[in-house]
Amino acid sequence: MGAKRFLLIAGGTVGGLGAVLSITPPQFGSASGGTLGGNTLSGASAATTAPAPAQTQAAPAPAATTAATPAPAATKKSTKKSTKSTTTATTPAAPATTAPAAPAKAAVSGTFTGATQQTRFGPVQVQITVSNGKITAAKALQYPNNDFRSQSISQQAIPYLVQETIAAQSANIQGVGGASYTSQGWYDSLVSALAKAGM
Amino acid sequence: MTLARVRAEIETWGTIIFVDASSSTINESAIQSSIDKVRDFLYEVDEVFSTYKDQSQVSRLRRGEIKIVDCTPDLQEVWQLCHEAKLLTDGYFDPWCVEGGFDPSGYVKGWASDRAISMMKTDGVEHIQINSAGDLSLAGGHEPGKPWSIGIRHPEDAQTIVKVFEIADGAIATSGTYERGSHIKDPHTGLIAIGARSATVYGPNGGVADALATALIVAGKDGAYLFQKPELSEYHCWVIERHSDEAWAI
Repeated sequence: MGAKRFLLIAGGTVGGLGAVLSITPPQFGSASGGTLGGNTLSGASAATTAPAPAQTQAAPAPAATTAATPAPAATKKSTKKSTKSTTTATTPAAPATTAPAAPAKAAVSGTFTGATQQTRFGPVQVQITVSNGKITAAKALQYPNNDFRSQSISQQAIPYLVQETIAAQSANIQGVGGASYTSQGWYDSLVSALAKAGM
Repeated sequence: MTLARVRAEIETWGTIIFVDASSSTINESAIQSSIDKVRDFLYEVDEVFSTYKDQSQVSRLRRGEIKIVDCTPDLQEVWQLCHEAKLLTDGYFDPWCVEGGFDPSGYVKGWASDRAISMMKTDGVEHIQINSAGDLSLAGGHEPGKPWSIGIRHPEDAQTIVKVFEIADGAIATSGTYERGSHIKDPHTGLIAIGARSATVYGPNGGVADALATALIVAGKDGAYLFQKPELSEYHCWVIERHSDEAWAI
């Protein structure tokens, strides 16, 4: 947009790392909406497909901003390696006042690693931490770092991708404006991590 | 009803353009071939409009080697539309007032994305997102009955989404000090723009949204009155002030 912006966004190009757009698995209950950066996001969460009643009350889902550091709860649970078997363990003794009818599916918790995707810049592999059916953290286990250029791009893009992954599901957004990097590799690896999580 | 959906990345314009396209009436390979056509179009746009290519028509126009009447119909169209955008913004957006001469970069991304969307619609694609480095053109919502939810990232913090817009059809463009310091000059004074720090504009037309976002970086709050113009009645903005975290919207 700005006259010269074409060039400088070359950063995104080189890395080929970027926006995880359209992460909308139906189970993502984004009822908690939350606030990011102090501004309200709640408008968007109304658009959630699945009502996801239980998980809202299960535990205060960490706001997406703080979620960059894996919530302790999520990490603990991940050691159990229980995908969806133990409802009671995951949702702490839900008194279930507002949602007496248990959802068809227990909320998932755990750490899930996506398949390694080859991109023309190098391999990309994503790991997600899920707590009560919500992604609370995402990180790159592998990313292009074979040369200085890729390294600096990765350093720039990966934190962005991590946040975007979390924000995308918590706010249920399908695109990011204001500057964006795209990566099919990240997306593909994320999809396989989500599949492993049964999400 | 199931949707066939294809996501693709198109590397051009010095960036990567992300395309998300789906349809209930045509299959994935038909969507893919529609995207291929868009890819060719965007490459062509780069060849003609890039200010970084010595032999592009825009570069030659800037050097005075050719005149606008010698240029492709697309470039002549953009020239005319830039002129209209300059009038609409009362000169706050002025692609002629750029070092080195006419530079339509602040308009052409939105224009080309809009064009790409109509090409794909003609091919039967129903739900389209074209994201060129943070400026988006959108059509048909994300799926039937659901708009696209687009998060706008914080101007200085790539990891924070500050605002979410729900848009089914239209364009949303953000200008500001993303990526590097302010690079937009105030056409009226020739000085670095001191209006808004970040301006997001959404409305029906991508090129106009692009131009308005740039205009607000220059004009800041002084540019709010532009949105009272009847031609801009369908446009809205969301702006972060330069010297504070205050945001205002129309």
